[in-house]
Amino acid sequence: MFTINNLLDIMVLVIFMNMQEKLTILADSAKYDASCSSSGSALKRHGDIGNTAYSGICHSFASDGRCISLLKILMTNCCIFDCKYCLNRKSNNIKRALFTPEEICEITINFYRRNYIEGLFLSSGIIKSPDYTMNLMIETISLLRHKYKFGGYIHAKAIPGASTYLLNKLGNLVDRLSANIELPTENGLKLLAPNKDTNKITKIMEYIKENKSQTFVPAGQSTQMIIGATKETDYEIMKRSSEMYHNYSLKRVFYSAYIPVNKDNLLPSLNLPPLKRENRLYQADWLMRFYHFKVNDLLNADNPNFNLLLDPKADWALRHLEEFPKEINTCSYNDLLKIPGIGVTSAKRIISSRKYFKISFNDLQKMGIVLKRAKYFIVCDGKYFVNNLCFNRSFIESNLVLEDNLLTSLKGEQLSLF
Amino acid sequence: MNEKYIYIYNNSFLSLLNLIQTLFKNKIVPQNIKPQDYSPSLFDKIVNLDIKEDEQVIEDIINYLSSNILNTLYYVYLSSNEHKELIIYYFWGHSLKYKNKIFYMRNLKSVNAALKISKYVSRENHRLKGFLRFKELSNRILYAEIAPENNIIFLLSKHFRKRLNNEYWMIKDVKRNIYCLYDKKDCFFVDGQNFEIGPKQWSMDENNIQSLWKTFYKTIGISQRKNKRCQMNFMPKKYWKYIIEMSEDDEESYN
Ligand code: SF4
Repeated sequence: MFTINNLLDIMVLVIFMNMQEKLTILADSAKYDASCSSSGSALKRHGDIGNTAYSGICHSFASDGRCISLLKILMTNCCIFDCKYCLNRKSNNIKRALFTPEEICEITINFYRRNYIEGLFLSSGIIKSPDYTMNLMIETISLLRHKYKFGGYIHAKAIPGASTYLLNKLGNLVDRLSANIELPTENGLKLLAPNKDTNKITKIMEYIKENKSQTFVPAGQSTQMIIGATKETDYEIMKRSSEMYHNYSLKRVFYSAYIPVNKDNLLPSLNLPPLKRENRLYQADWLMRFYHFKVNDLLNADNPNFNLLLDPKADWALRHLEEFPKEINTCSYNDLLKIPGIGVTSAKRIISSRKYFKISFNDLQKMGIVLKRAKYFIVCDGKYFVNNLCFNRSFIESNLVLEDNLLTSLKGEQLSLF
Repeated sequence: MNEKYIYIYNNSFLSLLNLIQTLFKNKIVPQNIKPQDYSPSLFDKIVNLDIKEDEQVIEDIINYLSSNILNTLYYVYLSSNEHKELIIYYFWGHSLKYKNKIFYMRNLKSVNAALKISKYVSRENHRLKGFLRFKELSNRILYAEIAPENNIIFLLSKHFRKRLNNEYWMIKDVKRNIYCLYDKKDCFFVDGQNFEIGPKQWSMDENNIQSLWKTFYKTIGISQRKNKRCQMNFMPKKYWKYIIEMSEDDEESYN
């Protein structure tokens, strides 16, 4: 067991470890956070170096296929809490490290100038107390903004339990500030993160929402849930998400497939992280945010989990075949969005083009609209693409599943939506 | 064998616009248009109209075309597509009739092609905003090499002018031998020169920072989620040579 009880310990952490080793420890502990985006900030800061790109930029892709946009590190992996799922929990006997504010600034600036990153994502284990930790983070970021004149993107994790005064201070320095809800239900949190409580986390979200402005957290807030560490159904998870989007105007909810790093009899023993499930949740999240779907369209108490063989939209369409096939030349924008395989761009393209000419299947192809999935659900000028007799659930379902699995076996497991 | 009449322009965008404008005026439908340094085939008959650079004509063209359309033409011009000149000719031709509605006329072959190509160019530009890597030289100048498929250095430099506006930097397009030099105020484009910059010119810190970055890169991937295909889809191999964390990578560790 490791705790920091005096200055000497801290000095040991700071001085007797080289940067390579520190960076390894503190990036390794930070990597489980799924958030990566660097977008949404239009604020022009008066820095000497750097700016933010509204649409976000990916600088590299890690071996797991996830985008690397920010220098994602912990300030320290020392922690007084003991969250069961976390590598840094105090009961783990692991190497601990701590970055000084200057060290973080130096790495950030050096990486940024060389165009390795869009900016910094700073999170931290809790050292001494939430306020103490937040103060150190503020010191670091304020140094980066004011002395190093850094105008690039910064995402900071708020420490639950820190005072609103500090929250306010930090929020004025960063582009994005966020707090992780960690688990979809309060019971789950109590079970696995006994030192945390949902209220403290939602209070942060509430505060950020109330105070968001051009200069306070201009890129908004996001949060993350761990999937598969507790027993919640997809229905519970999606209800929680939709509630949070609604109550706290979140920009994103990230879903992070649980990866066992600790042994604990409260934790499930999984061999592989539930990546397919995570993918379904992202797809459904997408449908809620951009396609006007409600949680209850997709799931309900009798049918509380996503079909792992079919994406949520296709699954929904097959359960509502009476609404199909839809006529591409006349159906509304919202109806176009309901067609499996038709995305926002395609729907817009169809709407604007059909004013000028009647769209045939051929035209759809020329317009760059992928018909692989859509063809079962549409008619163009009264014509059905596949044989009319084939318009039934079992035929379409088996074809979609077949294509899907062919596709995934060709393209690898994970369909990334980051 | 039929002879083919090839109209040539002097490689620049403006001269291409000028040529096409002249073709329109004289109601000539070209079989092909090529830059003057292309390598002709046996049956090509080269036609050089020797059009005078007339600022007024250029200005008229620019004023007449909407900025969307002009932008599309420019992006297609920057592409490496071998039929780009004809695509520009036809896209422009259609745009005279359809004006800004042209962007919805994807059922026309040349329109669809032009929109696709310009999107492709702008995507490569966006990608390189992320994939480009600077190295610091001993005089603190930042230096990067790129080898893009399309000629995007002009577009890309705009991004870095804003981002690193208080640094001296230089980007070299290795494929085309074009350099962009930035002196904290303006960008200068130079071509034809060729000088090699290697580790000898790097600053004291450079090795150290590069190895810190590689450490970070290796650490941040989650092994239980390993997905090489996904990684390659997003970061195609053709860019790896100039991405330091990928370049010297022994193939095996990624398999
Ligand atoms: S508070 Fe919990 S999740 Fe955060 S670092 Fe500490 S133990 Fe880990």
